[in-house]
Amino acid sequence: MIRRLLPVLILLAIWVALPQFLPRNITDLLVFAGIYTIAGLGVSLLLGHCGIVNLAQAVFYGIGAYSTAYLTTEMNLSSIWGFVVGAVLSMATAFIIGWPVLRLTGYFLALATLALSIIGNALFYQWDWLTQGTLGIGGIPKLHLFTYALDTPNRFYYFVWALAFAGIVMSRNLTDSRTGLMLRAMRDSSEAAVSLGIDLQWLRTRVFVLSALLGSLAGNLFAHYSSFVSVQSFTVEKSFSFLLISVLGGVRAPWGAAVGAIFITVVPEYLSRLGDIHQMLFGLALVLIVVFLPYGLAGIVDLVKSRFAKSVGADHVR
Amino acid sequence: MISFGLIVQAIFAGTTNGLTYALVGIGIAAIFKGTRVINVMQGEFSVTGAMVTVVALNQLQLPYWLAICGGIFSGALIGGLIEILFVRYMMRRGANQQSFILLTIGIAVTMSASVLFFVGRSGYLLPAFGGDGVFVVWDAVIRTHALWLIAITLVIAAGLRAFYHHTTLGLSMMATSIDADGAATIGINVARMRTLTFVLGGILGAIAGILMTPLISVDYTFGINLTLKGFAAAILGGLTNPLGAVVGGVTLGLVESLSTVFISSSYKDVISFGVLIVIMIVMPNGMLGRAGRQGG
Repeated sequence: MIRRLLPVLILLAIWVALPQFLPRNITDLLVFAGIYTIAGLGVSLLLGHCGIVNLAQAVFYGIGAYSTAYLTTEMNLSSIWGFVVGAVLSMATAFIIGWPVLRLTGYFLALATLALSIIGNALFYQWDWLTQGTLGIGGIPKLHLFTYALDTPNRFYYFVWALAFAGIVMSRNLTDSRTGLMLRAMRDSSEAAVSLGIDLQWLRTRVFVLSALLGSLAGNLFAHYSSFVSVQSFTVEKSFSFLLISVLGGVRAPWGAAVGAIFITVVPEYLSRLGDIHQMLFGLALVLIVVFLPYGLAGIVDLVKSRFAKSVGADHVR
Repeated sequence: MISFGLIVQAIFAGTTNGLTYALVGIGIAAIFKGTRVINVMQGEFSVTGAMVTVVALNQLQLPYWLAICGGIFSGALIGGLIEILFVRYMMRRGANQQSFILLTIGIAVTMSASVLFFVGRSGYLLPAFGGDGVFVVWDAVIRTHALWLIAITLVIAAGLRAFYHHTTLGLSMMATSIDADGAATIGINVARMRTLTFVLGGILGAIAGILMTPLISVDYTFGINLTLKGFAAAILGGLTNPLGAVVGGVTLGLVESLSTVFISSSYKDVISFGVLIVIMIVMPNGMLGRAGRQGG
């Protein structure tokens, strides 16, 4: 028990201490990594457990961000309404779109979500009475936790990562639950799952709705943290990034999204002097992971673990 | 008031755009026919082919025909390399559809980022075939280049149909995708057929890009929209049928241009991608029915 908890405790200590040692701009990036982890978790749930490539996550991210932006600036409502309205709108959208679209599979479904992402971005752009288009909405108030203002990167860091960890634990619990077993059955053999009376379309729609909720929550946090949102933040490239986040870390590992999110936020910072090269690198990273490490970076860990376990076993024999 | 001339103009513009979608769709269909992979980077073949031609023409000062050959060759080379480096390995592993989607998306992102890196954010145009000549039909102005585009697309579609039905190479490519083991048994080099399929896809993509660039300024963001519209054309046509993709592409182009006239140009992409989603759900086998999808 101690041995299993120890790495977790060490990681937790590092996580708490980290912002004290890091320069402000890196903490800032880690805040974005936390936000992206939450959105990426949704993509991971769909890809890892339903075999659905979701390229529309930026749309739900946008719904959350615009809910917060519009309600807190134009309507002067408190920030909780942004979260509530964003959640309701994104879940409703996911349900209404998901129900017909999720009967598609494989290539067709992936391209349908890609089309949705482009449609969503075009609508964000066209509905400028709501979104101010490319001009964007500025002056979004900082988030307050009761009376405690989350107005520095350090403070927001703790808040957003607490939510991200909660999300990771939740997705872990989900995969270990009865629903998770149904999901696994569906992913590995959909015919067998149907024969056991699992309603595939309802199950897939539910996960899609949950994924949209996570996307919207990330969008709310993004709007509060950056205090400015514009249509450029919700493009198809953002959907690609969320997909890369989930694939990079490994879609089946609950913490995979966090690894992917840290990678795609921190790496461009160190490559920025080379110009626009990071996008090329991200594309290449996706290719190499898919070809050589189908289970992402988490796959390496498993590989090392199984090697280690084998050599320990060999010692016993000897 | 919407004039008759405006509608005629929209029909011609729709047909021309539709045929570029058709060319991209034919490339997607060719790769699907030969490997059962939907290639999400097909539009990037077009953008890259067009950009190589632009660079060869403007920077290297090559004659136009040679620059076009260079563009087409780059499409063939990239297509072949992608198959040899990645697709072959994943085929051997028996990777699923999601993995191929992720692979081709990753390559699409890489290619579009490379175009951004090498030629920047600006859009580029190529000179039109037949110069700036125009025809006037019922108040509608048609550029000579559009007629070239229509003729070349129809020749390619018909040529591919003949290729798949009447040549040993075309039949071998089809056999490879329908039953790889069976094809190997009768002495077809399955790996080479797949490489050639991707080479063919790259060539078709580059041709689409080169034919499109005189009509519309092309930049690094162009590929993904083009892929989706080509995919819509291919699905409407039944996914494996080159002539079907032509019918599908023209249909999509007409829907798009007429909606620009009657609804609003700002919702053009929303409408065409909405149409794509609806046809995938309602008519997964295309307008020509199941026979079109299976038919060779």
